[in-house]
Amino acid sequence: MKADVELNLVHDGDNWIARGGEVVAVGETLHEVDENVTHALRDSGVFPSGSSVTVFMGFDFDTIPTWLRQYHAHYFNRYITVNL
Amino acid sequence: MATVNRKWTDGMLHTEDWWAVWLGLIMFFAGLLTIWGVDIVGWMTKTKTWEWGKLWSDPSFNKLLSAAHSKEGQTYAGLGGLGSLLVTYVVFTTLTCIGAYFQKLDVKKFFMGFTCIFFITWAAWIIGHEAHFKALKTGQSITQSEIYGDNVFCTTKVNKCSAQINKALKGMGIDVMAGQVPTKEQAAAAVDKSKNAIRMSWGWQLGGGFSYMLALAVGLIIGNFFKGFANFLREGAKPEWFIKTAIVYLGIKLGLMSMKATGFALELALAGAAATFVAYLLFWPIVYAMGRKIFKLRRDASAVLSSGISICGVSASIATAGAIRAKPILPIAVSMLIVVFAMIELVALPTFYAAVAPDQPIVNGAAMGMTVKTDGADAAAGAILDEMMVANHYRTTGETWEADWILSAAILTKIWIDVFIGVWAFVLALIWVYKVERKPDQQHVGASEIWFRFPKFVIGYFIAWLFYVAIAVWFPDAIKAASSGAGVVQSPMRKMMFMLTFVAIGVITDFAKLKGMGRLTVLYAIALFAVIAPIAYVVAWIFHHGMMPPLASG
Repeated sequence: MKADVELNLVHDGDNWIARGGEVVAVGETLHEVDENVTHALRDSGVFPSGSSVTVFMGFDFDTIPTWLRQYHAHYFNRYITVNL
Repeated sequence: MATVNRKWTDGMLHTEDWWAVWLGLIMFFAGLLTIWGVDIVGWMTKTKTWEWGKLWSDPSFNKLLSAAHSKEGQTYAGLGGLGSLLVTYVVFTTLTCIGAYFQKLDVKKFFMGFTCIFFITWAAWIIGHEAHFKALKTGQSITQSEIYGDNVFCTTKVNKCSAQINKALKGMGIDVMAGQVPTKEQAAAAVDKSKNAIRMSWGWQLGGGFSYMLALAVGLIIGNFFKGFANFLREGAKPEWFIKTAIVYLGIKLGLMSMKATGFALELALAGAAATFVAYLLFWPIVYAMGRKIFKLRRDASAVLSSGISICGVSASIATAGAIRAKPILPIAVSMLIVVFAMIELVALPTFYAAVAPDQPIVNGAAMGMTVKTDGADAAAGAILDEMMVANHYRTTGETWEADWILSAAILTKIWIDVFIGVWAFVLALIWVYKVERKPDQQHVGASEIWFRFPKFVIGYFIAWLFYVAIAVWFPDAIKAASSGAGVVQSPMRKMMFMLTFVAIGVITDFAKLKGMGRLTVLYAIALFAVIAPIAYVVAWIFHHGMMPPLASG
């Protein structure tokens, strides 16, 4: 699936953080992250108001402890569609 | 730089899963060259069964080790035991360090840790091959002890010893195959003439299983009593990488075994798939319901724990947590629990199954695959069970089951479980996104998630297996030449990777981590031993009962 925006997703123990280029969105839940991504994209002015934007969030597996990575190599990726 | 799986090729250079495929296939193709008369794997060292009295009287590395060369690689014989061990060390250290570099491990620490683990492994392997621990009695000593005595042991495969003694008797004019019976003096003279038969006053007759248990014990002692040293080794202790590489090599073994018993191998694979599917449908809902109703766990914790206990341990708990978008700390905590419990299963279950059901080898192997979590612990438990049951059966009946079929049953069920993880995680992701979170118009779950969670080492395993089946079907004249190089890869190389796994899995297991896990530990223990193990055994019996390993030829 093609995405208009690609973000890396991590969890710092308290919050999810989605980051890519100038967009940074933080939230305790993924729902909050999605809302903040929408705000950040709106503020960036890259996309016209009223447009529908597909956002890809790929979890950065480097944030999983090294000893655990040998068991599995993927956490999750997600796509969301936001209306600006 | 971040590691995000985006393209289908992502991970090919930096995950241990793919590196198991590369290490596996490098040696697989190297072994195949004997088809054209070239042996480039014959430097691999292999252990010999030795007796301490004889070693003491004339010490030599060549009594402990030798190069595993094929007929085409006679030049490697000149390396001797120590030389072949050093070449083995150099080759595998180089390959694994290259893999460690691409996996973004600390290569210096990996090199130091791997070097220590390598030599600890070989020390345990050599000690485990001392004849008093390992050697089995010869067939004659079991079935005709009144003539041959009950103290004749064999330092190679027992069928070979029996054949050597019978040949020596024939040279004396006594044809036992025609029903002639030697006198005690003639029998004693034949035993003396046999190259691999020795007399010993005692012997534990544990087969190769003793080396595995010794390696595991050494690893556990380091992991739990020498924690500073364990931390030093940790970067080089990669049991999942080692065992997945070994499983690719096992694909070669299964290919060779399939040449002789194609129907049985296929039946084993299909029965394993069916049993795994049925067990899946029972395990997960029961454990999930227990977590929610009895232990009052949150929905996400219960789902992650259910997958960890009932499917395939750590990888399933990570896959499930990712699928339901749980915070990463949850699968990390559950994984610590799984690794420790897998070790308890590995220590307890082989002995238990071998004692309780000595006449159900394949059922035991399949049940092991469905019960023991993590690939490393399952393969290790399967290997111990295989050695233990083959040796026990021989001791009690004088009949030799072909080795590695019980191990294959354990591995095949586990491989199907691994394959299903990606599909199950995808289903869970759909349920979570479209039912639990109820935002179907806003989120999408890519089908690529299945591929990213697919265990890649399985590809290497099936390539190796099917390649040899193809040789048997289309190029039957090449079987003998192909088996020559394959024998080196699937036997000493594979067993070395198993032995490395035993030491490494012990090193990373710290039982102290169970402290403070509270309800999760109690639920895990109850679910594992009261739900998973009994159901797995029943399901394994339904699909595998009546299946027996072929008898060893020779």
